[in-house]
Amino acid sequence: MDDAEETLPDRVDVESCTVDIPVEARSMPRFDRPLAATCREARLLNDNPWVRSLGKLTLDITTEGWRFPTPTDPPPAPPKSVPARTQSPVAEPPPERVNSDALHRLRPPRDTIVFKERLLYLLQPPLENVFGGRQVTVPFKPYPYQMEGIAFLMPRHAAILADEMGLGKTVQTILALRLMFHTAMIRNVLLVCPKPLVNNWMRELRTWAADLPFEVISGDLAARRFAWTASKCPLKLVNYELLTRDVEFVNDETVRFDVVVLDEAQRIKNKESKTAQVVRSLQRDRSWALTGTPIENSTEDLVNLFAFVDEGRIPAETPAKRLPALIGDTILRRVKEDVMKDMPPKTIRDVTLELTPAQKEAYQLAEKEGVIHLNELGATITVQHVFELVMRLKQICNFDPRTGQSAKLEQLVADMAEVAASNRKAIVFSQWVEPLVRIAEALEEFGPLQFHGRISQRERQEVLDRFQKDPNCHVILMSYATGSVGLNLQFSNYVFLFDRWWNPAIEDQAINRAHRIGQKSPVFVTRFIAQDTIEGRIAEVLEKKRELFNELVAQNQPPARLGMTEEEIFGLFDIPARPRTARAA
Amino acid sequence: MPRDRPPRGSPLMYTRGRGQTVALPSPPVVPASERPAAPLSLGFLTILHEASGYLGGYLVTNTWGRPLEFRLSSAVQPNKVQQILYAGTLLPYICADLIGKTLVDKAAVSVSLVVTDREAALDLRLKLEVPVLWLAGADDPRALALAGGPSAVVPASAGRGPVLCHPRYAAQDVPASRELLSRLDSAFDLAEPFGRVREAIAEARKLGVGARAA
Repeated sequence: MDDAEETLPDRVDVESCTVDIPVEARSMPRFDRPLAATCREARLLNDNPWVRSLGKLTLDITTEGWRFPTPTDPPPAPPKSVPARTQSPVAEPPPERVNSDALHRLRPPRDTIVFKERLLYLLQPPLENVFGGRQVTVPFKPYPYQMEGIAFLMPRHAAILADEMGLGKTVQTILALRLMFHTAMIRNVLLVCPKPLVNNWMRELRTWAADLPFEVISGDLAARRFAWTASKCPLKLVNYELLTRDVEFVNDETVRFDVVVLDEAQRIKNKESKTAQVVRSLQRDRSWALTGTPIENSTEDLVNLFAFVDEGRIPAETPAKRLPALIGDTILRRVKEDVMKDMPPKTIRDVTLELTPAQKEAYQLAEKEGVIHLNELGATITVQHVFELVMRLKQICNFDPRTGQSAKLEQLVADMAEVAASNRKAIVFSQWVEPLVRIAEALEEFGPLQFHGRISQRERQEVLDRFQKDPNCHVILMSYATGSVGLNLQFSNYVFLFDRWWNPAIEDQAINRAHRIGQKSPVFVTRFIAQDTIEGRIAEVLEKKRELFNELVAQNQPPARLGMTEEEIFGLFDIPARPRTARAA
Repeated sequence: MPRDRPPRGSPLMYTRGRGQTVALPSPPVVPASERPAAPLSLGFLTILHEASGYLGGYLVTNTWGRPLEFRLSSAVQPNKVQQILYAGTLLPYICADLIGKTLVDKAAVSVSLVVTDREAALDLRLKLEVPVLWLAGADDPRALALAGGPSAVVPASAGRGPVLCHPRYAAQDVPASRELLSRLDSAFDLAEPFGRVREAIAEARKLGVGARAA
């Protein structure tokens, strides 16, 4: 080729050639067959999806219930003159009380096995709420230890309330019964007490349970039969002697009580006595015993008491050291030292006693003749005449002049038994010496000492020393005149006013022999009052004067004018006082 | 006994011997305003949450707090699924619908007012015709928040939380509850019965008493 500019030919001659290319034709297998659509069945939407149970979603419960007796609505308490809680006219500083937030609730005892019954007690409102509201009116709110006693009694079928004398066993029992009636736990009660205490129980029932009807089983045979077998009165009161006499009615199959309460239950400490046997034969659901001396002589006394309270609880021949475990929570006893923070330093109670038949006869005769005589005196009558009649009648209230019987002495002996059993000491006051001498004879077993005008000055100090130091001397007998002033007997806890003085100030001074600085325990004062006699009338007049005095004058001034005026003395027999001009003559 | 029943409103007649008829004096009609109010009963509902589940106690009392009836429920323990599914509605459902409603319905004594110490039981009001009150704790923040609102029945006082009703029914329940509460004894403490209910539940557990078939 020329290396210069080479130009492309205008024409190229190409020789044709023949190339044999073998071509093979084969069929494609896939196209041998015609296309055919296939369909596979899908069943997902037609069948239910599978599920797994996760458990029950709903919640179920069951219930169980207990229905209780419908409580009865007590009627409004009737208006009555509420006795003032007797305290000294001289203002006493209030005792320091333990400020406790604990409310007193009923607790079922161990031997209550029925669940519904246990619930009934557990679900009761606290006693503080019961007494604090309008539903149960009481003249005075019970002390905390008394609430405890009420809570102790209410749930028990077997109970012994063995508080020391003066702590209010009567009040606790009455309030417990009253609440049980309200809650429909019980429908009828029999209360057995010594005869001298029947009037006392009646008064306490009217004071603390005015809405609770009661009747005293007494009178002739027909009346007593009706009272035992037909009367529907919810609370019946009977003395031990009548109970024993009416054994035939008592054992009637229709006679049954929800509660039987024995006051001064040491009366049945002799298991074989007829009284004890009759008491044990009473058909009852609950058995309560009240006594300040559950063990007077030996543990046998307590065992015999349980023969009534819960027969079979204490097997025969049980050794004494096993007793606490057996009696368990069936017995409740408090002494003054246990409760002194709850109590006022001094408590006064009036014990109204019915005169013995001999006393009653002598009294009525003397009063009738005396009033006739006073009326016959006409204008010549003086207060001295009236005074003499009053003195005469008061002496009969102490002792029957012919037989020497004394309702007061019977009660005093019973009370002193409790005092001595508790190792306490008591002072007995009278305005005369003669009664003190008779009392000394009756209280021989308690080591009585006398302190009055017939005791020489030289002997008096020996008497006082012995009273303080000799543990066997439980009582000292004093006249108001000699014993009212200048003595320190603050180791005595009990004061008995066998008969009362004209002037309450003198009484207070007598009481203050025991109730004074240095006294470590509360003092309990018992004033004996013969029922339906001049003593009751005098007591009313003096009480009104005391209340008036307390309202009007300063508390720490000597109450110089609390004695009875001439008009008041004449008024005791509804005799008009003499005009002043006649008196001047 | 009258031989023929007299028409309504006419004095009762009774027939003596020889065909004499005598009209018995009709009792005096006492105006409604002077009739003594029907006795009031209250229900106290508490629900405890224990290891075995939720269980309820229900105490019915009179206006003085004396017990009339007590009911106890069995324990109910929701499982995990239930807890998830019910979620936040579980507690009100258990307390109000399940336990509360069952106890109140099964009680023989009907009540005019139900008091509970659990807020979750307040929804019981949706199932009942009587007011349901929640006695709240003194330091319950939710209660204190509601105390100033329309559902407050009794305000909070020293040591005590407010008493509240269900908000939906505040308009009628607040005045109605106050009127009912005014009829209670002055010494009646609304919180006190709950202690008794808890003690009763504990006693039942101790004695092995459980709810059997209702």
